Amino acid sequence: MKIISCIKPVPDPASRLIINESKTWIKESDLTFVASEADNYSLEEALRLKEKHQGEVVILSMGGDEAARVLRSGLAMGADRGIHLLDPKFKGADEFAAAETLAKAIEKDGGADLVLAGVLSDDLGTGMTGVMLAEFLGYAHATVVIGVEADPAAKTLKVRRELEGGINETVELPFPAVLTIQFGINQPRYASLKGIMAAKKKELKAWSATDLGLSDNLVGKAGAMYEVKELFVPARKSRVEIITGTAEEAAAKLVEKLRKEAKVI
Amino acid sequence: MIFVITEHKDNKLKSITSEALVLAQRVGQDFGQPITAIVLGSNVSGLVDELKTKQIDRVVVAEHPDLAEYSPDRYVEALKTILGNEKPFLVIAGHTTQGIDFAPRLSVSLRRPLIAGCVDYEKQGDKLLLTRQVFNAKMNIKTGLRGDPPCFATVSPGAFSTDDLKAGGSAEVVSVSLQFSGPVRRKLIERIEAQKGKVDLTAAPIIVAGGRGLKEKDNFKIIFELADSLGASVGASRPVVDSEWLAREYQVGSSGQTVSPKLYFAVGISGAIQHLVGMQTSRCIVAINKDVEAPIFKVAHYGIVDDLFKVVPALTKIFNDLKLG
Repeated sequence: MKIISCIKPVPDPASRLIINESKTWIKESDLTFVASEADNYSLEEALRLKEKHQGEVVILSMGGDEAARVLRSGLAMGADRGIHLLDPKFKGADEFAAAETLAKAIEKDGGADLVLAGVLSDDLGTGMTGVMLAEFLGYAHATVVIGVEADPAAKTLKVRRELEGGINETVELPFPAVLTIQFGINQPRYASLKGIMAAKKKELKAWSATDLGLSDNLVGKAGAMYEVKELFVPARKSRVEIITGTAEEAAAKLVEKLRKEAKVI
Repeated sequence: MIFVITEHKDNKLKSITSEALVLAQRVGQDFGQPITAIVLGSNVSGLVDELKTKQIDRVVVAEHPDLAEYSPDRYVEALKTILGNEKPFLVIAGHTTQGIDFAPRLSVSLRRPLIAGCVDYEKQGDKLLLTRQVFNAKMNIKTGLRGDPPCFATVSPGAFSTDDLKAGGSAEVVSVSLQFSGPVRRKLIERIEAQKGKVDLTAAPIIVAGGRGLKEKDNFKIIFELADSLGASVGASRPVVDSEWLAREYQVGSSGQTVSPKLYFAVGISGAIQHLVGMQTSRCIVAINKDVEAPIFKVAHYGIVDDLFKVVPALTKIFNDLKLG
């Protein structure tokens, strides 16, 4: 079973984000990048599936040095080899352009039985790229996955999806498929010292747009379906009103405000 | 023409569809575009009647046994056929586990933009700029679309109030019969509904949510008592669920449910971003926490900075006396 796990480098969630001068994105120069949180769960799921069914886990990431770094830590966690999509032309991709580039890389690598990605990224955060990738590849897909059972002999998967309101559903789909993995599906492992040492000998190849046979108008900013006109911090509609007094007084005042002012009860 | 792809369950429209219709009505008015609601399903006449009462121009209904349950393969095929015969300006679906499951495939297969999780829009000349959230809802981006219409959008739950949905239409109803030729690759095996007595928090008008500040499992009973006094549903933050004080189904936040009730009590919840993204669009937020620096106060409308073990029973007593439950 060949599994490709996609990893997106994003600014460390602990870092303070500053809007750039043209107000079109954040200042990236001083930031530390890490793997998007949901992608850690998807890589862990890939590693567990491999441990159960044998095969290979390939990790795939697009970007500059920050992508090389998340790939190296993925190899240290236990992935077998990595593919680094490295080209200044890839910069500024939206979900659409990113998905098309990732799809071309997966095709160039001979396809996969299973492609895993995090349910959403910590930056754009819309959960689109994985499903778009499935359409570019012509693979089946399932989103918001909280459980995976693979049957490599029958080339089928049973996956559990988390829907709204505490509802779960189980769906069956054939190989090859793309799954977007929900937070909390497993407990991602840390890289061991042995893993870090072993990672140094693992294959990490870099492919450019030319290597993928993608013309300039399909990648990065040129291939994006939308441009960011403005990045801004939304104005908060309200400021908190702190209600004072003893607990009983505050409770009484609050109830009065909920009834007369907010009119919600 | 603006299209809204309806989402429904048990022959009832989901709230997200009304919210999507609000966006459609506003954009429609600004750009002089009529509105069509698309209903995919089987035996959906009740939905059509409900949609006809809204101020829209047309309802397109495609009934087929294969559409009785949501299927990404069938939805994509059906929508490609229906939209292929039209001149769409904007196609809107909900930013739900269903909307994000098929809209990206449509966007790719028609090579048109998809702006996901929209919270607002702007008319700039004859251009539509859609706004959506990024960085865990800390910031928004205003997007400019490439090329000519159509574009696809998913609307973020809670961004548009269903109170603003205009009624009073006389929509024309058009039935289309579809013949499917593509494979159904993904098959639904079973759907496990929320356990009995458990409420779909996404539809709850009032939620009382408790967090780590409750200190231990047994203390959670004061949350249930407050909820009972109000006829409210109970929610929880992630630490509560991870400590197994409550089942995961109660979790509100990025890895739990996204809710937008009219009234949300955050009790002993500090307000990690993962929690805030799941509830910050609630109409009225009350935070009860003894730490005045807790980030929950940044999104709250009313706050009480005090010991929750004193405040919550006091509130429960008042609500019980008012007999709201």
